[in-house]
Amino acid sequence: MNRIARILRPAFARAYVRIFGGFREKSWLFWEVILPTIFMSSIIFAYENLDAPKIFIGFVVLGTIMMNFWYNVLWGMGSVLYWEKETGNLEVYILTGSPLPSLLLGMALGGMFNTSIRSLAMILIGIFVFNAEFTPAYLPYALIIFFLTLFALYSMGMAFASLHLIYGRKGIRLNEVMGEPISFLSGQYYPINIFPTFIQSIASLMPITIGLDGVRRALILGVGFESLWLHMTLLVVMVFILFPLGIYIMSKIVEKGRKDGRLILRWI
Amino acid sequence: MVKSPLQYAIETINLSREFTTEDGVFKALDNVNLKVRSGIIFGLLGPNGAGKTTLIRILSTLLLPTSGEAYVGGYNVVKEANKVRGIINLVSGGERPGYGILTTEENLMYYAQIYGFSRGEAKKRIEEVNELIGLDEFLHKRLNTLSTGMIQKYALARGLLNKPRILFLDEPTLGLDVENARVIRRLVRRLVDEGIIKTILLTSHYMAEVEELCDYIAIINKGRIIAGGTVEELKNMISKEVIYNIDVKAIDTPKLEFLKSIDSVIGYTVRMSNVSGEARIRIVMSYEDISRILDTLERNRIKILRIHQDRISLEDVFLKLVGRGITDE
Repeated sequence: MNRIARILRPAFARAYVRIFGGFREKSWLFWEVILPTIFMSSIIFAYENLDAPKIFIGFVVLGTIMMNFWYNVLWGMGSVLYWEKETGNLEVYILTGSPLPSLLLGMALGGMFNTSIRSLAMILIGIFVFNAEFTPAYLPYALIIFFLTLFALYSMGMAFASLHLIYGRKGIRLNEVMGEPISFLSGQYYPINIFPTFIQSIASLMPITIGLDGVRRALILGVGFESLWLHMTLLVVMVFILFPLGIYIMSKIVEKGRKDGRLILRWI
Repeated sequence: MVKSPLQYAIETINLSREFTTEDGVFKALDNVNLKVRSGIIFGLLGPNGAGKTTLIRILSTLLLPTSGEAYVGGYNVVKEANKVRGIINLVSGGERPGYGILTTEENLMYYAQIYGFSRGEAKKRIEEVNELIGLDEFLHKRLNTLSTGMIQKYALARGLLNKPRILFLDEPTLGLDVENARVIRRLVRRLVDEGIIKTILLTSHYMAEVEELCDYIAIINKGRIIAGGTVEELKNMISKEVIYNIDVKAIDTPKLEFLKSIDSVIGYTVRMSNVSGEARIRIVMSYEDISRILDTLERNRIKILRIHQDRISLEDVFLKLVGRGITDE
């Protein structure tokens, strides 16, 4: 069996659990697709009542969608890994000798599928209910930026997920710390140029900010490669830094878990 | 490659493991030395908290030792963890790893794929394991609807998916009723008798289980191996002792403390029967002294109902070595 199969088979197996297991409880469509669109709609209503420029509707839709993927990293990878440990699945997984990043990739792929359905619902509501306007001409650039952002986010997710092995239930607080402030800084509902330059610089260290700005520029402002090459370059650099860093942190924390006994310790 | 010099299936050399707790350092394993031959069921017998699970977690590479060495299949569990993982599996009683929303078959498919099987190979392997264990009754049922007995059969099936050479069974019949426990024990014995698994290391605090299944037994208490041998060898350790069962009207166990002051008494256990309202005191004596014990019981107003001398059991060996019964806290 080649190395790629050894990585991908566990990942697809875990994604199957998330996707097909999830579909067996149809109520998830209500909780995870319908409910999140309500909050997005309320922000759009607020902008409409304030007579904000029309492009703000697209800003909100794209901002909410990109943040969905970030929340999927936080909750779908980190917290799920914690529960895998609590239920004893993690130790059985470790016994198989399969690489742990494969498990996380599987969780991410499964979560990505569900998040994509939610995002699709949001785009459709944005276009058909609120008349959001997008420029499809630069969709390929938007997709490149989107996938680079996902790669960077999921690399960060590996490191966060492994922190859940150390901090246990306290890791949920970590999700909160990494959730709302990043949503605020990355400009989920507004362009970040409303912030002072210093704050913009800090916000730009996060892949979600760069990715969100790039996707908005491509799909709303209709700009092409000449304006997006910097976004792409920054994201590629982030991927090159974050991916090996994520793998490194994860392997160190698992080793520490074996040493401290935290891999087998429950209810911490 | 770091190979165990003697090529035992499992070998530990001065293996210790400490845990730091709020109350200080707790020694879960204290210089454990074990040599397990290939082709046998090796039983690790000890009360709760004796260190059985810690040892099995180290041998299955989930936990690192504080000091000492351990080899499984000749591989060092610290330095060659992935090689060890390639030849072992672990099944823990009372646990239900898997996903409740998936069926038994889907869960086995999941674990088979994690071992790197393609879907086709996994399907074939599940059929083989099903033939061996007998999962038909619940193969297509969701895991969250299975009974405890079914779950344990499923867990055993999962433990066989990767065709391990060495299987660790941590309290495999924990929480099972008599009939289901018997089914699991029969399966475990078959695995070794038919050569499906080369070596099994089984931990238990059920004397009868260890006595029935294991070819060799090590008794562990407070992190130390205190005795080892076949059932007969262990029983021979107390061949000169005298054992009596005394049935009495229900009593409070602490009331019997006075028995400890009698010279001949090595130890005793008390089993209450909720149905009959009686208690059975099992006494191990270093020499025949039953009349004195009966006198003492009567003097303490304990009503004696029946008395008979009994044969030596593993429980008596444990009682002699540890000074208390295996289930006494």
